[in-house]
Amino acid sequence: MDSQIELEYDDIKGHADTKMVRFIGDLDATNVETVLEKICNLFNDGYINIIADFKKLRYVNSTGLGILLHFSKSAKEKNGSFKIANVNENVYEIIEIIGATTLLEIYDEVDEAVAALK
Amino acid sequence: MDSEQPRVFKVKFPSDLDYVGPIRKFVAETLGVSKFSPKFAYRSEVIVDEICHNAITHGSRTADAAVEIECRIFSDRFEFQVNDQGGKKDDIERLKKAMKKADVQASDFPEENDGRGLGLEIVRLLSEEIKMEIGDDNMTTVRVVRKREDA
Amino acid sequence: MQELKIQKMPVELRPDLSMWKLEGELGPESIARIQAEFELVLDSKQNFLIAEMSGVTQVSSAAIGQLMGCRQLLSERGGDLVITGVSLDIKSKLSAMGATKIFKFYNELRSAINAYHWEVERKAEKVGLSFPPELQFVPPVRQMVSRIARQKGYSHRDSFRIETIVDEICNNAVEHGSEKVKKNIDLTVQINREKIELEVANASDPDKIENLRAVSSSLSKPPTADAGQRRGRGLALIKMLSNNLDINFSGEGTSVHVTKLREE
Repeated sequence: MDSQIELEYDDIKGHADTKMVRFIGDLDATNVETVLEKICNLFNDGYINIIADFKKLRYVNSTGLGILLHFSKSAKEKNGSFKIANVNENVYEIIEIIGATTLLEIYDEVDEAVAALK
Repeated sequence: MDSEQPRVFKVKFPSDLDYVGPIRKFVAETLGVSKFSPKFAYRSEVIVDEICHNAITHGSRTADAAVEIECRIFSDRFEFQVNDQGGKKDDIERLKKAMKKADVQASDFPEENDGRGLGLEIVRLLSEEIKMEIGDDNMTTVRVVRKREDA
Repeated sequence: MQELKIQKMPVELRPDLSMWKLEGELGPESIARIQAEFELVLDSKQNFLIAEMSGVTQVSSAAIGQLMGCRQLLSERGGDLVITGVSLDIKSKLSAMGATKIFKFYNELRSAINAYHWEVERKAEKVGLSFPPELQFVPPVRQMVSRIARQKGYSHRDSFRIETIVDEICNNAVEHGSEKVKKNIDLTVQINREKIELEVANASDPDKIENLRAVSSSLSKPPTADAGQRRGRGLALIKMLSNNLDINFSGEGTSVHVTKLREE
């Protein structure tokens, strides 16, 4: 069974092909499958840009990192993007020490991520 | 010789990923209660997660396999140990290689790996000391030491 | 085109379960093969089938539809067809086909087997914890047990009750524990789909055992608002929240055993 993660969704005004997704809780091996399915559903529904708001994402492990890299790759294949914003210090450190900051689009704030949309 | 008596916690749990979340949070919270910083507790939580995940997915050869962890909390450091019954020969070899590997980056791993391989690298980067022992019949122990930041 | 290979393999961890190792392209042309192999599974009267798909490079909706049919037949017999090892790319395609709403997916074979133990065989799982006899460690202990219950599908409400029970029995173990023998407290948790059993054991001093014996025997009487009855209220609370409470006293220590049935 999944450990506790919730996803909440919002539209972005002026960007019909973009969805904002708030990650709430911990992203780990027990719930990556659920998160994968939900984000894939968004891609399948035509949202080629995802802005992931990590303000309430407390924790991520290597399995979670793997799924984020996959989302980034999948979005690029659709000529879209997977942008991450509001990463807390602890989560950022894990992403940084493994060198994934160059592979993921990370912004301080959601507004900056929105402004960077094509 | 170290004369300080550590606080010792042991947990034995089924080889099932469902338990990793509660176990890692338990370790982090005991560190918090023992006056280690939130950052220290968080990094330790990540280490516990990755090592336990590895023990479950690669170190459990029977259907009723269990994983044992032991935490020793000293005033200046945290020692963490995981015992599992050991995996197949190529799992053991992969673990040995991962222990020795120089810095590995996320770009070295294709996304299809689901982050595998990154886990032990994260543990290496966050720990002062990491050792692995393989006993009889492949029983594997991974031991990590983390020193308190202001020690 | 890489033809589909279906290899029937024993499940190392559980020789009584069936596993298919699928490799290659799961295209429309593989339907006949799947059907033929599935008939062998039905003949063998095994109802739980694991499809290991790490070697699958392409999927088609026709072939997935065939697998769905297999799953339906097994499920009518009280079994299931589950999928393991699928790559992220293939999983994304399966998601687009709606397959993720039908099948259960597991990253690893072990996770599929654990799920089988839990859901089908209804096996109990056991956790053993040893911790220092200090009150400050009780909150992390009770929260761990509560999270385990949540993770195993118990409701928030049930998990909260379990947390309260663990809190009370662990607090008692610390407070009634021996001051001379500073031995760790042992907590054992046995959990299955129907109930959770908790046992706490600790070393006790003889005079504290007498106090606890007195409190324990007062559980048969209604609780009062008397401030001196604090410990009794703790045990009374455990009694109200659980289905069975046993307290055993021996020369070396005390053990408290609580059973709580899953309510929701």
